[in-house]
Amino acid sequence: MKTLIIAISIITLVAIAIIPQIHFASAQLAQTQSAKQYINLRAEVWNEFFRMTTAAFTVGAIVSGTMIWLVWRFRESNPKNKAPTKWEHLEDPTAGSYEEEGH
Amino acid sequence: MVLELQKPRPVWQIMFSTHHTDVGYLYLVFGIVFLFMGGVLAMIIRTHLFFPGQGVLVSDSATFNRIFTVHGLTMLFLFALPVANGIGNILVPIMVRYKDMAYPKLNAIAFWMNPVGAALLWLGFADTSWVSYAPYSVIRAPGPAADMFIFGMKILGISSILSSINFVVTIMKCKHPDLSLRRVPLFAWSMLTVSLMTIIAMPTYAAALIMMLTDRLGLSGFFNPFAGGDPIAYLHLFWFTFHPEVYIFLLPAIGMMYEIIPRFSRKPLYSQASGVFAFVMLGIIGFASWGHHMYSTGMDFTTKVVFMIGTLAAVPASGMHVFNFLATMWGGRIRFAAPMKFAVGGIALFFSAGAGGVLNSAMPLDFISHGTYWVVGHMHLFLIGTIGFGFVAMIYYMFPYITGRMYNEKWASAHFVLMFWGTVQTFFTQHLLGLEGMPRRVYDYPTEFTSWTQLNQISTIGAWMIGASFAIFLASLIYYSAKGKYANMDDPWGLGGKYYYPVAAKNPHGGHSGY
Repeated sequence: MKTLIIAISIITLVAIAIIPQIHFASAQLAQTQSAKQYINLRAEVWNEFFRMTTAAFTVGAIVSGTMIWLVWRFRESNPKNKAPTKWEHLEDPTAGSYEEEGH
Repeated sequence: MVLELQKPRPVWQIMFSTHHTDVGYLYLVFGIVFLFMGGVLAMIIRTHLFFPGQGVLVSDSATFNRIFTVHGLTMLFLFALPVANGIGNILVPIMVRYKDMAYPKLNAIAFWMNPVGAALLWLGFADTSWVSYAPYSVIRAPGPAADMFIFGMKILGISSILSSINFVVTIMKCKHPDLSLRRVPLFAWSMLTVSLMTIIAMPTYAAALIMMLTDRLGLSGFFNPFAGGDPIAYLHLFWFTFHPEVYIFLLPAIGMMYEIIPRFSRKPLYSQASGVFAFVMLGIIGFASWGHHMYSTGMDFTTKVVFMIGTLAAVPASGMHVFNFLATMWGGRIRFAAPMKFAVGGIALFFSAGAGGVLNSAMPLDFISHGTYWVVGHMHLFLIGTIGFGFVAMIYYMFPYITGRMYNEKWASAHFVLMFWGTVQTFFTQHLLGLEGMPRRVYDYPTEFTSWTQLNQISTIGAWMIGASFAIFLASLIYYSAKGKYANMDDPWGLGGKYYYPVAAKNPHGGHSGY
């Protein structure tokens, strides 16, 4: 599940970053093919920005979805989550460190 | 301070104490009192706007201006800052393993400046709005209210600087020699960051206040266009201080979430280093984006682009905090007691508010949303959605430590549900109101605009829900601090192990010892 979410996130982010670039490049190409066509570069920059805003919202949706799943999956009342974590055997489970645990 | 209600001391003994837990307790009580005073003003504003054209509750626009001005000042400077300072006073010396704050008397002086500043703000009841933009504030704003506002803010500013110096020295110079700065808990890191930001930012506003005062007295004309001054200069000085101040309000709440989330997830924090890095980055980036409040003042394109990039630079650092929280929760066994509910709710709303911030930073969109209810919704989503939720989470978390008793979990859940739903309904709706074109800070609006009326009424119902949630909160705080069950001070939430490290702190009034 963790791997799937990470894979989907990476694919989505890469797609969002690449698609506007293709669009932008093809628009510039069209300008060179026809001298009469005028591309307002500033408008293109803003279009780029709005697409990045879309990216921000997409990331937001992914993060929010992940959070909702985390809350559902890792709540202590979830039947899959009955067994104590390995950190709970410590006197203070929060005092450990991911680095020291080899993560 | 522990078990205060079981072993009560005379009030004067707490009031005149210089011990960090007592000063922290005073800050907390002060902040909570003003939370409710500011909240009453918010209820008046929203209820008034529920009935357009009728002048319900507020009969004239001047009074309305005064109400939203004092509401803003109260929530920002008399609630948010004191509560952060209160929790900081209680926990920071414990976290750095020192007996007290570095300068205990200075600490108490810094606190006692707050009631003086608060009295000036509330007795003056100025109408300038909390930003007090020139030229209105220097030409037309009626005295003595505006003058009392200047002196009140001056005193609160000095108090902030004094307490910030104290935090910086305590953390940097008084921490235990065995404790490296890298391992100082992240809440202390958040207080260190905001203290350094305050020391850098606040003197600019202090200077602006003096200039405003001399302008009002006719001795100068810095911001007075009739005397050759430039009102835009005030905006630069103001936002140079108060955009970083947004982070000064925000970062302690994030630091509080770093205390709560690992404990209730029953596992270590995912990455201490990334949390420290993100705090430091936000502390620096906070100074690179003040111009985005002023896109519509005739700034040139290049300058606007610089400020836009500066604003967007905060996104990765904020994202690091969110990912740190999620990674910490991942693989844990999470108990959703009240502190955890509010912390997770705060993270969700933090992300929503941040998404709105990305849109605000875009110049073309900013021209549409500037001065509308969009801005009100965005700002409040941060202030209540993140800072409010973080602070409430921490107050529930500290409740057993301060009172020795437990709050009621069911009432706390009711508080959470009402507050979360109310926050979403009130402030998401205000974003839509802004897109519909409703300007902010208006006393009334035409009833012919039916969408404005409908959205305002939806927003107001949400605000009433928030009000009801805080009524539950207040009743719980009072009732369960006196009548609640005694808490198991080693492990109040039954999480297992010895989690509750503040109780191991050195207590000046007997009880526990540690470190």
